[in-house]
Amino acid sequence: MITFPVRFRVRQIGIDGNTVGSSRILLCEEPGAFLIGKSQEADVPLTGDAVSRRHLSLVLSAEDVRVQDEGSTNGTYVNGTRVDEQVLAVGDQISIPGWILELLAAAESPASATRIAGVEVDASLVSRLVITDDDAPPPTRRTFPDAEFEGKETVGIEALRASGHPIEEVKFCAVGGGLGSFVWVDHLRCYGVPASDIRAIGTEEVCYQTYKRYCKNSQIPDHERLRSNALSRPDNIWGFPGYAMREVGKGIGVKGIFQVFGEPTLSESYTPRAGDVFDSLDVEAKRIGWSDMLLKAQVLGLRKTSDGRYAVAYKLWGGEASGQARNRFLIADAVHLSTGYPATRFVDDFQTFITNHPDARAQVANAYEPHDQMYVEAERRGGPVQFVVRGRGIVASRIIQRLSEARAKNPEIRILHSMRSAIGPRDGAVFRKARRLVRNNVEIQPFNWPKSCWGGDLRVEYENASEEDRGIMLSQLGGTTTAERSDWIAIAERGAEEGWYRPIYGTISDLAPLPPQGEKQPAGVQVSIDTQEGNREELNADYLVDCTGLIADIRRSPFLADLLDTYHLSRNHAYRLSDGRATKGGPTGLRCTNDFEIEGLRNGNGRVYAAGTITTGGPYLAVDSFLGLQYSALRSVDHLVTERIHKVRNLGPLRSLGGWAKWMTGARP
Amino acid sequence: MIPTLAGRIQTRLFLFLFIGIPITLLYGLYWTGWQWDWRTIQIFVWFLCTITGLGLLLDPVYIFLQTTRWDRDWPFAYQFFFSWVEFGIVFFVARAGLIPYLPEFAFQGGQGLWIATLHFTLVFVPSFLFLLGPLQAIFVRWRFKGGQFGKM
Repeated sequence: MITFPVRFRVRQIGIDGNTVGSSRILLCEEPGAFLIGKSQEADVPLTGDAVSRRHLSLVLSAEDVRVQDEGSTNGTYVNGTRVDEQVLAVGDQISIPGWILELLAAAESPASATRIAGVEVDASLVSRLVITDDDAPPPTRRTFPDAEFEGKETVGIEALRASGHPIEEVKFCAVGGGLGSFVWVDHLRCYGVPASDIRAIGTEEVCYQTYKRYCKNSQIPDHERLRSNALSRPDNIWGFPGYAMREVGKGIGVKGIFQVFGEPTLSESYTPRAGDVFDSLDVEAKRIGWSDMLLKAQVLGLRKTSDGRYAVAYKLWGGEASGQARNRFLIADAVHLSTGYPATRFVDDFQTFITNHPDARAQVANAYEPHDQMYVEAERRGGPVQFVVRGRGIVASRIIQRLSEARAKNPEIRILHSMRSAIGPRDGAVFRKARRLVRNNVEIQPFNWPKSCWGGDLRVEYENASEEDRGIMLSQLGGTTTAERSDWIAIAERGAEEGWYRPIYGTISDLAPLPPQGEKQPAGVQVSIDTQEGNREELNADYLVDCTGLIADIRRSPFLADLLDTYHLSRNHAYRLSDGRATKGGPTGLRCTNDFEIEGLRNGNGRVYAAGTITTGGPYLAVDSFLGLQYSALRSVDHLVTERIHKVRNLGPLRSLGGWAKWMTGARP
Repeated sequence: MIPTLAGRIQTRLFLFLFIGIPITLLYGLYWTGWQWDWRTIQIFVWFLCTITGLGLLLDPVYIFLQTTRWDRDWPFAYQFFFSWVEFGIVFFVARAGLIPYLPEFAFQGGQGLWIATLHFTLVFVPSFLFLLGPLQAIFVRWRFKGGQFGKM
């Protein structure tokens, strides 16, 4: 049975393959056929040279939702396969030149759908990040692999074979397909595992696709620099030579080498350019044969098998197969989970605002969503434009830099920087004998954790600490920080002097839409701030960019939620230190050993490891970083070596040097 | 660099044994006209041993200084600077004749300074360059262990 309204997420795709502008939701409120095309009569008019006048129809009935090509010139594709007619399942993506329509699960409640309804098309703007109102994972109506997996902790290989779905057997399977998977597979390959023994499953074309999208959205184009160390190279397990030396080799300059020499005390910390990181990942992907190992597919579930392995159920994207033939199983001896940020949600007040005022969605954005149009509009529009930038982290710094660049085109852009409280020069966080630096009311740290968390004494101490002590260290060493960059400091200082940058301290208590007034005054957003002095300040802004980050909740990934429930897996917890006593907070990442093994999933000789943000609160602080991914990959692959079950050879000094020489010469491992 | 105490000591000894000693022996042979004259060569060897020994004594001090830094790290520039401080201390103490097994005369005048400085430069430059990364190519876990060798 189909629940109405049926919802599609509509995204426009630019020439570079990335989304343009915000996503929109297409609501279909009743059964019927809806024409999509360039024609004026189309129910959903879409623009673009390669879109036919009558391109496709969405045919909705009480039984199913299907897509039907209307004889278009350039074709209609579902999950990458060209189709004439196809029944859709939740999550399927229809693509036509320049556009992607994705069938969403039914709304949680009629209320939450009708609130965005009323407007037939382009009702609400919701980003790629799945946004839901409650803790339940988005509902799915899939049938595969429920028949084989539902309610079972262990499945038999014979039963899977009997199901008729194609089955492949390999030794190692990386679930995720992003940077975390890539780094793990890179380690396996450099340890000498042949590519034919490895499969990586994910929906990304290249391993850095999601990462790059977050960068682009938060205004880090390829020529800008990331917040990462010279020696943290996800394309090189040895981390040498670093990015700074690579720049010398490419003739970009030797400045980086001197930065590395003096950082972080005598010079600003060196950081690599985003584009260089992506380019070098492309080179390594080619070297290790990433595309031969990659299955472009969505992972739907994982179960222990009765013979001490794992069955991974996945749905192939694209390729020749269609229908049920896309649903397959992969049997693996060892599995690595690195699914990255699961469906993520925004901070509560921001979430409430965009739910209640979808029409004001163009005025507010989370910094990780596509929101370029704000800057373009502000640059184009003459006259004063007021931006509220909320948050004091690295993303806020970069957004403010982008706005100061926009001031070259519209000098009347003003920035109000909303922060919870002022931080004096001596109010930085304290950890034992050390205090964190503060500049312009923002805490300064080269990277997102103190450096020694990656490989110094804090790494050792944290790893050996009890769960509670880990939680306390995490809360003491964490917190929002930005990097010390002279250009950012100059922007804040010059802006304050010239009056176009003003910090405002207090808690945002309310957000309300400001309707447009005539042609001169477009819509805006009113931001109410309760200041520390107890006053309420009301700011009329044109745009609000929320840089307070994203809240990762692993239960929002249906795949992880299913694992948590089926195997009753333990989770880490946050801790807060108040009045010298630690109080336990909410659950965070998946519990794993110091070798990043998820013990609850151990199955005879089978092993499951994890990496990245889904292991937050675990044995390592900086899990969500390039070097952190390399650390966890090293630990888990070393663990496979030590256990001697899966015949992975140790990477001792000689083999390491040999492998490195191959890397240097570009030879396949 | 984010060394731990054990890491500092192990890396120092490693560089001493595998870079410092071989280069020192070659350097000593050079000054003896490529003749094995242990009585002369031993001056170079003991000089390097003394610098390494002083470094081992100072390592806990460096570690203490690290704990006062928020990042608990040790910039390469500090490593560079303090390596020469260690050399300077040993050189001037030896020159004053306060190290019984190092003959005073070997460190006197411009020639003494030149021979010792060249010696330390030849040992220091490759050691420091090794620290900057090549060690990681041989010991893939070294950078995560704060400079210690072996398994994780």
